[in-house]
Amino acid sequence: MMTNTQESFTNSNPELLWELCNITKKFPGVLANNNISLKLFAGEIHGLMGGNGCGKSTLIKSLAGTHSPDSGQIKLRQNIISLDSPTDARQKGVATVFQEFSLIPTLTVAENIFLGRLPVKNGQIDWQKIHADAKSVLDKLELKLSTYAIVSELSVAEQQLVEIAKAIATDAQLIILDEPTAALGLTEIKHLHTILRRMKSQGRAILYVSHRLDEVVEIVDAITVLKDGEVVSDAESSEVDIDFIVRTMIGDDVDEHYPKQCNKTNTPLLELKSIQTHKGVNNVSFTLHKGEVLGLGGVMGSGRTEILNAIFGIDPLIQGEMKINGKLINAQCPKDSIDSGIALVPENRKFDGLFFNFEGPENITIADLNTITQKGLLSPHKEQSLSQSFIERLQISSAAINKKVGLLSGGNQQKIIIARWLNAHSEVFLLDEPTQGIDVGAKVAVYELINHLTSQNKAVILVSSDHDELIAMSDSIAITQDGTITDLLPASQVSKADLANTTSH
Amino acid sequence: MKKFLKSPLIGPLSAMILVFLIVAFSTDRFLTVNNLSNIALQVSVVALVAIGSTVVIFTGGIDLSPGAMIALLSMILASLIKFVGLPLVIAIPLVIFIGGLLGAFNGFLTAYMRIPAFITTLAGLSAYRGIAFMFNDGSPIFSLHPFLDTLFYGSFYSIPLPLIYVVVLYSLAVWGMKYTQTGRKIYAVGGNPSAAKLSGINVNRIQLIAFVIAGLAAAFGAILLASRLNSGSPNYGVGIELQAIAAAVIGGASLAGGRGHVLNALIGALTIVIVQNGLNLNAVPTSMQSVTIGVIILIAVGIDMWRNEIGYSLQKLFSFKKPL
Repeated sequence: MMTNTQESFTNSNPELLWELCNITKKFPGVLANNNISLKLFAGEIHGLMGGNGCGKSTLIKSLAGTHSPDSGQIKLRQNIISLDSPTDARQKGVATVFQEFSLIPTLTVAENIFLGRLPVKNGQIDWQKIHADAKSVLDKLELKLSTYAIVSELSVAEQQLVEIAKAIATDAQLIILDEPTAALGLTEIKHLHTILRRMKSQGRAILYVSHRLDEVVEIVDAITVLKDGEVVSDAESSEVDIDFIVRTMIGDDVDEHYPKQCNKTNTPLLELKSIQTHKGVNNVSFTLHKGEVLGLGGVMGSGRTEILNAIFGIDPLIQGEMKINGKLINAQCPKDSIDSGIALVPENRKFDGLFFNFEGPENITIADLNTITQKGLLSPHKEQSLSQSFIERLQISSAAINKKVGLLSGGNQQKIIIARWLNAHSEVFLLDEPTQGIDVGAKVAVYELINHLTSQNKAVILVSSDHDELIAMSDSIAITQDGTITDLLPASQVSKADLANTTSH
Repeated sequence: MKKFLKSPLIGPLSAMILVFLIVAFSTDRFLTVNNLSNIALQVSVVALVAIGSTVVIFTGGIDLSPGAMIALLSMILASLIKFVGLPLVIAIPLVIFIGGLLGAFNGFLTAYMRIPAFITTLAGLSAYRGIAFMFNDGSPIFSLHPFLDTLFYGSFYSIPLPLIYVVVLYSLAVWGMKYTQTGRKIYAVGGNPSAAKLSGINVNRIQLIAFVIAGLAAAFGAILLASRLNSGSPNYGVGIELQAIAAAVIGGASLAGGRGHVLNALIGALTIVIVQNGLNLNAVPTSMQSVTIGVIILIAVGIDMWRNEIGYSLQKLFSFKKPL
């Protein structure tokens, strides 16, 4: 079913470059990797997939030298070796692009690319060589960035590409990419794939970890799927399809990727009239009805997030008006919007959403402490019972009740934030990339939550870079461009190609 | 019991008990009623000031100014009593109020003017003491009021009064942090200011409130110190801000904010005073005492940093009993 067959290798007898044999790694209370074996061939892109907590990251870290397995062997060209440290792994030709950026935001692009191995001439750093070399690396990637640019001033997508530039600058034979496209738009993903195919044709091995199924199937030559620390499937990509991966990842049949329920009514809930902010939202008007999911389509930087920020009171309106249930509201800060029944599930859970110093219940109640206040005082008992009911209702892991949220999976963390807004009796839910970085099983759970919200006459504004998801889960889609809405259509009339056309321009 | 064993207080508390036992074994002059009530008196000023420092630390801030505030507030108290002639019942509440105002000023600069807390209070550390020296030509003011020293040396059913202040104010602080919305919001702001804002919390106001609490705590410290010596002096409280921060840290509060317990500060302050007292009784010179406190700070924070690793290796060691 895949089209890779014709390019299924230049070399009919690919060289076995790296081999993991029966890797086992234990952490307190968890068997993260159980007897995992994996073969990486030169000139092959190998997909590594699996739900959150399946052991992908642990496995990658063994190859990157970050930690060593408890048992099992790592072989390089059939020789057993050990990778004692990240530096050691790098010297043996492994370059890793981790999910969390390892760039230093205050340094320049060139300094970041050569960090830790800045060339020295006569005892001094050779700045000319650094910038020249960095330039040639960027050229290889066809990146039009200044090597003197400060990393913190780049967009997230550009930072991700610099991260990749840093990895390939070492001339590594094995490149590990952990969720490289999480922050990228469609054009950048295409660009990245071109780069990866080029590196593959140069005979490098690539280990590619991603949650985006469609994209993985498009690019990889072989796939290994992990579940609960074990290999549940490995196959040439020509043999696999998306449903197969979804099934193996979550363990049972999922008939429907997108379990969309249509709950849209004709009662207006949120009405925007020509709103405008200093942050570039320009003359945006639309009406969101009870039970409706409105998708905002558009690229990063098209103004999607800015529109959410305006509604949530982060960027106050300078013009236009906003009504909830027919009542005019004047949102000068998030609190004003929250009090009017608006909720924001931010794109970046870690920085803007979760309190890692709190356990589940405190994270759930924080947006409306009045629900657990009795006679002016917080009631720990009420907090526990209320949280317990949300945990059951949203099927959050029961560990949430007495564990710090940092120990929960991405999907459970996302549900905690949604529970927070249910506790605050919000009616309009602004979901900014709600399924980014969470596994398929958890994604389905988020879709079911969206259904749950709309079935209770609440409404959702969905921002998502996953076009399939956006089209499938929305009732109507507003196309955003340059801070304004260029078109508003029923989702059924929008095709993926439409979105791709507007976004890649 | 299980909950208590998991509580973040258990580590610092056992450390304090260990220190207590070591000192008790090192000299038989330690476990006497006289010496122990002496310790209670000694710890009271730092312990009260540390309540405020700890609450500011919970919000992710730091307060370097309470020492200088104590000097200024003690001079204000002395002037109000001695030169203005106000009775104690008016002068003391007034000084507490002024302490709150000074704290509010620190908080205003930090939260609303967005000057980092370290800088705001470093400026305060210098300026407040400077203002203290403007009173009475920079000379201490003595013999304030015949009743004033009773506030420190008096007792209630043979319990020294400072001990009662400590118990009452710490109970109030523990209660406030656990049962009020403001207490919860203080932890939220320290844990993740951005998420706090997006959860509808007025982050600036919470930071301001934390500094007001710190100002009030400094005022209590100032009144206690002034009554102990029945005087006000611009030289009071030198270095007390660092002792208060050290108490919080030794007690286990995280300087990153959002984590800790108010009692951490009391445990930390007691640990410091017990060590100092033990070294005194064993005739160790002051210079060596300062070095010892420094080492204790490092060990306390080190243990906090390496807690997980230590826990893991202990678990390995006693692997017959494994939770999870």
